[in-house]
Amino acid sequence: MTETLAGAVNRLARSQPAAPALIWQDTVVSYGELAQGMRAAAAGVATLPAGPIGVNAKKSARAVTFVLGCLAAGRTVVLPSPTLPPETLDALFERAGAGAVVDADGLARFTDGDAEPSEVDVPFMLTTSGSTGVPKLVPLPAQGIERFTRWVHDEFDVGPGRRVLNYAPLNFDLCLFEIWATLRHGGCAVLVDPEIAADCDTLLAFLEETQPHVVQAVPLFYQLLTEAAGGTHTLPSVAHVIFTGDAMNPHRLPPLRDLFPHSRFHNIYGCTETNDSFRYELDPTDERRETLPLGEPLPGVRADLVADGEILTGPGVGELVVRTPFQSSGYHNNPSAAFGPHPALDDGEQYFRSGDLVRRTENGEYFLEGRADFRVKVRGQQVYLQHVEEVVLAAEGVVEAAAVAVPDVHAGRRLHVVVRRREGCKLNSLVLKKFLAERLPPAAVPSTLHIGPDPLPRTSTGKVDRQFLVNSQKR
Amino acid sequence: MSNTQTITKYIVREFLPDVEASDLPPDYDLLRNGVIDSLALLRVVDWIAAEFDVSIEDLDLSPDNFRTVENIDALVASAKS
Repeated sequence: MTETLAGAVNRLARSQPAAPALIWQDTVVSYGELAQGMRAAAAGVATLPAGPIGVNAKKSARAVTFVLGCLAAGRTVVLPSPTLPPETLDALFERAGAGAVVDADGLARFTDGDAEPSEVDVPFMLTTSGSTGVPKLVPLPAQGIERFTRWVHDEFDVGPGRRVLNYAPLNFDLCLFEIWATLRHGGCAVLVDPEIAADCDTLLAFLEETQPHVVQAVPLFYQLLTEAAGGTHTLPSVAHVIFTGDAMNPHRLPPLRDLFPHSRFHNIYGCTETNDSFRYELDPTDERRETLPLGEPLPGVRADLVADGEILTGPGVGELVVRTPFQSSGYHNNPSAAFGPHPALDDGEQYFRSGDLVRRTENGEYFLEGRADFRVKVRGQQVYLQHVEEVVLAAEGVVEAAAVAVPDVHAGRRLHVVVRRREGCKLNSLVLKKFLAERLPPAAVPSTLHIGPDPLPRTSTGKVDRQFLVNSQKR
Repeated sequence: MSNTQTITKYIVREFLPDVEASDLPPDYDLLRNGVIDSLALLRVVDWIAAEFDVSIEDLDLSPDNFRTVENIDALVASAKS
């Protein structure tokens, strides 16, 4: 028999009422307090019009409690980014069929009452990171979430006595791991306040104080920590460091091994639609590699590389087609060719076409080549934008970088690279162009560079907003 | 008369906007170091023709003539003579 998230929190509140469930700012919320808040919220939510509940609030202990309350009330939670424009949010909630939308102020209204948790078939509707237009809604079934939280616990131990760092905003799929799997299995989710997410010194101090055991975040987070640590700090409590969401440059590993002296290191690949599908555990020799492999498919995951309508059996590059035990059944009210039967296999199962190009090498390792739509032609030659970014990131003083192809009257397309450089660093385009010209084929050396101290623009789910960068270059 | 200053200023303004003209030595290899690519070469040629009032037909467009500011300067000088 499987247990619901809300049911698990209720049970844990009886078996370990004083155990910490959430760390938020200066407070610790125990399982007893969390369950009480959840049951009160469930009672309040029961008075709202039928249908899913839209939650339009930033991360906080109260927001997490309220989300649990919605689940306990048997309601689907629609969780888009609160940073989206109001019109986009309205459109999303409407398309989701939300009976009510609760904002940050509204959360506080639902603190009275006591309702027993009930079940919900689709606990969460998350969104894709569409940088233009309205993002797609991704409903995640209860069974899939239960299987995923089980895998997380088996692999990383997020049970009683463990603290799991949550860096991502509440609307990110990463929270399924960091918050929801942790609460499902009795650990403590350490919530990073979005206010300090970009402040590297405060971030490091927060980790030193809260001493998490499991840390999962995008590479940028580790970059910020490394900057702050300066080789003089260590975080010995951490047993698992997980890179996800973006390609991690292996050259950046040595300072991380100093910062996390007792940790194992993992590279996890996945997407909102299917959740995680590959895991790779790093070993020290990876520092000699140029890119990290994707590793092995998770238990129960089927992954094929498909090229020209056929499954690749040997080495080569193909689009990754996957089926995971955790996946969505398809976008909500938005039929898409991405979900459907296997393009080269008739097994009656539902697959997801990831749109990611993956290479299988001679010795059977998988490497992410990039998005199928990130492969561009510049002056007649194939250029992988992510390869360019990887090389740029390897240059001294580069914190973030994005490569885009910009329409050009003379060339059709030209390559443009935007760089955020480390504070106080003297990196300029003369130095960077020389660095790139020594390492990239001529067509992949960007025609134009913009180097500055500002963070790159991001979409509501944290991906670099490439469309914005392209548009700002069109003259 | 040498036009290295004018040429350096142009190269920096067009292709290295965050760099001081004094940081670009006249013998710096613009091609090997990625400052000028084949696309940029066409713009440089256009600019030379307009700035120095020479005909493109009078310019020897072999890439080596665009390798350094000094070389571009020599190219301009030979086209004007």
